Amino acid sequence: MTGVIPILNISIWLIAKIIALILLGMYLIFALVVVRQVQLMTSTVEVGFEAPIRLFSYLHLIFAIIIIAVAIIIL
Amino acid sequence: MTDIFVNPSSKTPTPNSTPTPPQVENLPSPLPKKRRHSRFSAFWQYPEKVNFETREKGEKVILLLRQHPIVNLGWILMAILMLLAPTGIGVLGVLSSLPSGFQLIIYLAWYLVTSAFIMESFLDWFFNVYIVTNLRIVDIDFVNLIYKEVSDANIDKIQDVSYNMGGVGRTVFNYGDVIIQTAAEIQEFDFAAVPNPAKVAKIIEDLMVKK
Repeated sequence: MTGVIPILNISIWLIAKIIALILLGMYLIFALVVVRQVQLMTSTVEVGFEAPIRLFSYLHLIFAIIIIAVAIIIL
Repeated sequence: MTDIFVNPSSKTPTPNSTPTPPQVENLPSPLPKKRRHSRFSAFWQYPEKVNFETREKGEKVILLLRQHPIVNLGWILMAILMLLAPTGIGVLGVLSSLPSGFQLIIYLAWYLVTSAFIMESFLDWFFNVYIVTNLRIVDIDFVNLIYKEVSDANIDKIQDVSYNMGGVGRTVFNYGDVIIQTAAEIQEFDFAAVPNPAKVAKIIEDLMVKK
């Protein structure tokens, strides 16, 4: 297997990279929604544990951005 | 020479001697004893620093309830399996035919999804709360990512309070559903899987009597 689609002369790994980036991009939107959701939740009920939860949601978002950056570089 | 004519009780302490601590064990405490609750408690009576969006001035939170922690067991086991899955996949060599870059991204993405699953499951449990105040009962539900539903009914609108604890797990861990019938817009409130449902029902009934 050469990894090239004969008719279009496109590398199969290039298509895989594009699909991976699209999926990761969709996940990034989800991570943004999670941040918004956490803001909504912590403003609705306050029990004194809001800061760590908000921090975790931001870390999750940053992790998603880092993975997209890594995928662009190494794939 | 030893000073045998000095009363031992009237001796002044020397600078080098260590003073004995005062006996405080039997002294009465100036404050009444309070049961300490964690922020993760599913049955939190008289919580001090709890606030919610629609709270009115002078409204005191009497109870903050969540589902019993045992209901989290399912997603915790699932999360453990998800965390262990990449190790199993690595041992079986499922991804070995892919380039190393793709393998790395798949593993990282898997852990990202797992962290989101854990966070969502925890948030779902932590923020879906039932609150009983001196004025009303409040049911806060976050149905999905961006949809929330806050229902409340005044204490004087409550008509009937009942509870059920069917099943082995619920009996062993002492949790069940408290069903509250009201004459408000929402006619039935269901405090699902809350710990100590008999006590919850009693507290609400006491509030009804006071009103």
